Amino acid sequence: MLLKTLLILLALIGLAVPIAAALGWLGLILQWTDSPMPLHRAISDMAWQTSTDFLLVAIPMFVMLGEILLRAGITEKMYDGIVKWLGWLPGGLMHSNIGSSALFAATSGSSVATAATIGTVAIPQIKKRGYNEPLFLGTIAAGGTLGILIPPSINLILYGLLTNTSVPELYLAGFIPGFLLAALFIVTVVIACVMRPDWGGERLRYSWAERLRALPALIPPLGIFLVVVGSIYAGIATPTEAASLGVVAAMALAAFNGKLSIDMMRQAIEGTMRTTAMIMLIIIAAVFLNFVLSIIGLTQALTDFVTGLGWSPMGTMLMIVLVLVIIGCFMETLSMLLTMAPLVTPIVVALGFDPVWFGILMMVLLETALITPPIGINLYVVQGLRKTGVMTDVMKGALPFVLTMFVMLALLLAFPNLALWLPSLFY
Amino acid sequence: MLESLLSGSRKLSLWLTWLGGILIVLSAFLVTLEVVLRKLFNVSLGGADEISGYAFGVATAFALSFALFERAHIRVDALMGTIPRALHPLLNLFGLVLLVGFAMVVVTMVWSMVGDTIQHGSRSITPMRVPLAIPQIPWLIGWALFVAVGTLMGLVAVKRMIAGDQAGVQELIGVKSIDEQIEDESV
Repeated sequence: MLLKTLLILLALIGLAVPIAAALGWLGLILQWTDSPMPLHRAISDMAWQTSTDFLLVAIPMFVMLGEILLRAGITEKMYDGIVKWLGWLPGGLMHSNIGSSALFAATSGSSVATAATIGTVAIPQIKKRGYNEPLFLGTIAAGGTLGILIPPSINLILYGLLTNTSVPELYLAGFIPGFLLAALFIVTVVIACVMRPDWGGERLRYSWAERLRALPALIPPLGIFLVVVGSIYAGIATPTEAASLGVVAAMALAAFNGKLSIDMMRQAIEGTMRTTAMIMLIIIAAVFLNFVLSIIGLTQALTDFVTGLGWSPMGTMLMIVLVLVIIGCFMETLSMLLTMAPLVTPIVVALGFDPVWFGILMMVLLETALITPPIGINLYVVQGLRKTGVMTDVMKGALPFVLTMFVMLALLLAFPNLALWLPSLFY
Repeated sequence: MLESLLSGSRKLSLWLTWLGGILIVLSAFLVTLEVVLRKLFNVSLGGADEISGYAFGVATAFALSFALFERAHIRVDALMGTIPRALHPLLNLFGLVLLVGFAMVVVTMVWSMVGDTIQHGSRSITPMRVPLAIPQIPWLIGWALFVAVGTLMGLVAVKRMIAGDQAGVQELIGVKSIDEQIEDESV
């Protein structure tokens, strides 16, 4: 049963069938072959419950928040502002790439949008200021991944939904690892540029007066981040409510910058609804598949199989991480999260690990998947933006950051409290 | 005939998407109002979560066919490079047929659920006691439109295939190139 399921899934995905259809048909096929009951009759109820779940209302809200911010005319100013604060480090603008990506991704949540937006501003600077091109491109590709982990992240909501884990708790758990990973990226650039000073391009020096003048440009994104994340952490709002507050705040910000218009909102709505419809179709299919998998006992069989191997919990965990890294090389992140989380999390919990902690580990694995060849969407986005040169440059530049992510995974494995300490103060 | 039906349904999908988007924006304001009133004045409107849930469901269903036109439904094309190019149109059609086929199963089930809702006059088990037919009918319409549009796209794709219009098939149901994705995600 395990092998059959795996083969059907691989065949459907390999034939480039849309992920929603692949998951849905896998569910239908398994119910016909392995279940005496017509499980598909439950689809309507599941689709309705999922479609109107207040927790998931956060998805269009967060996507819309990002779409509006993208059009609110804050990116360039924010980038310049962060340059003033981080540009003195060896590596100059590369730190601003990471810093702006962290901030932008935190509020927008889309890694493609982040890499595309920051990349457009940053790439022209490579030649102008004499940076090592691969490393510079690597900072953009890697920086774009940060939004998956730093709250508010849609991926954490989906993980919470599929594994019955509390989303606010996941948001608290993601906070320290998210910013720690951004800091580790910065350290990676510093180390690279200290070893090879010619990679670091022109050093930029700014006075404190200039830095302080740059601060107002950072207030809007930081403000929205504080409204959204702060209201969740303070217990004022649920994730969905916080996301709604964020949409209203972003519209106010866009209006303040003179960017709010019917045409702008029309574009933001089209972008939001395109993404939302795509995600929801996959979620509905995934929820149905999970239902079938648990009814026919496959989830339990997989857990029994893995725990029956008799490996130590840590050994099994390392194996799971390895497998997920490999899967991440070939699979796009959303599909990977929705297929793997419900299958793997029960195993992990049976081994005695904390599901909240594993959610954070999973996010770092998804981030890795975004920049591991051959299928790492951020690599392609960055290459697509620069339009010249070869893809290998971007892959080479992203490699140090893949290694940094491995360090982050190791840290999380060795010190689970990096993720669990903050939630433990609240729960 | 088919082509003009296609462009007509593309327009309809876009209009419904805007309508759904407006529902989402309104929900954002409603939920914000609820939070502000609750925190500052200790007053609750009640039901903001339920209403925005329905708005979300309807808006998503309305946008399903738009996402199909935009080729937004994620496909993993890692192995497509290993398959001869001449077969790509067939592979694209296969993907579409499975997607629409799955949606058809959903619509069939939803159809009888909504029928029950109407027949029994079912209401939500919340203080608002919303007659469920109100949100469920437009929701069903969105899903049904998705199936209709998908079927239409399949027919047009087959027609273009027969006419030898490879580019036309790609533009309708192919996997999106990275340049097109960047175009979508940036301003």
